[in-house]
Amino acid sequence: MKGRRFKLILGFLLLVIPLLLASIYMYNKPHLDVKKSEAAYVLTAQNLIKEYQENETTTNEKYSESVILVKGKIFEVSTLKGNSVITLKDDNSESSIICHLLPEENGKVLSLKVGQDIGIKGICTGYLLDVIMVRCTLVE
Amino acid sequence: MAKIFGLFFWLLVVNIASGQDKFLTKEGFVSFFSHSIVEDIKADNNQVLSIIDTTTGKIAIQLLMRSFMFEKALMQEHFNENYVESHKYPKATFSGEITNLDEIDDTNTVTEIVGTLTVHGEKKEISTMVDIRMMDDEIVLKGDFKVDVADFKIKIPSIVANNIAKTIKVSFELHHKPYE
Repeated sequence: MKGRRFKLILGFLLLVIPLLLASIYMYNKPHLDVKKSEAAYVLTAQNLIKEYQENETTTNEKYSESVILVKGKIFEVSTLKGNSVITLKDDNSESSIICHLLPEENGKVLSLKVGQDIGIKGICTGYLLDVIMVRCTLVE
Repeated sequence: MAKIFGLFFWLLVVNIASGQDKFLTKEGFVSFFSHSIVEDIKADNNQVLSIIDTTTGKIAIQLLMRSFMFEKALMQEHFNENYVESHKYPKATFSGEITNLDEIDDTNTVTEIVGTLTVHGEKKEISTMVDIRMMDDEIVLKGDFKVDVADFKIKIPSIVANNIAKTIKVSFELHHKPYE
């Protein structure tokens, strides 16, 4: 009788503890590490803007929530609340790509110059007057 | 419906953006805060687009739902995928008017904004007091208001109903610069 109860409790714990651990892990799941993630799409600033202007809805579905790597010319480098913001612009369009960088990229941004060609990896959140990218990191 | 509204917004933007007395920001700040006994949830958006026409007092604001950054990745995922359905409704918009804009000066810095807020495809009339600073090279709007989750037909599963407040506080701070 005693042994049976012990087995029951043990079985119960074996079932519950992993579930509990799994839910704690899920709850504290870290944000996607852009730096370590492979870019799902690699494209030029010009093409990204063009795709958004031609069909915003399908382009949104394609790129949002995935890490993309955009290559283009630096139009402007600025800061917002201590984080760097790099704007990539295509000469043929009024629109640009506004890339909000991760705080740890600040040091690397200092050496960048307007007009320079760079690659930026980040998460695209959509299109307003410009394409917006967040959690960006510089790619060599 | 969303397309028609989008068109209206663009007409407003194009109208507003073509003159001299326009002020704009692409880095406006909007955050929301939900307090419940279980947990506090906060999300910040630093990529808000806002345009003011100083001749008419009209204001148009647009933001991307996916630009809201949460502390916990799981919350952000649930917010976008299940609650506000960002794949269907990627943007929230506000289109309205700053009342008595011509009476704002150094001593009189509080006024009212009235307009329509659209979130999750649902429209709601909003009016709120704002702190406004008018300078030659900048217009700053600052304030907060409360919205009911139910007004925007956002479904919260009963299992997490205690984690999310029925009324959410929305704060904003928009630093508009002259638009050339």
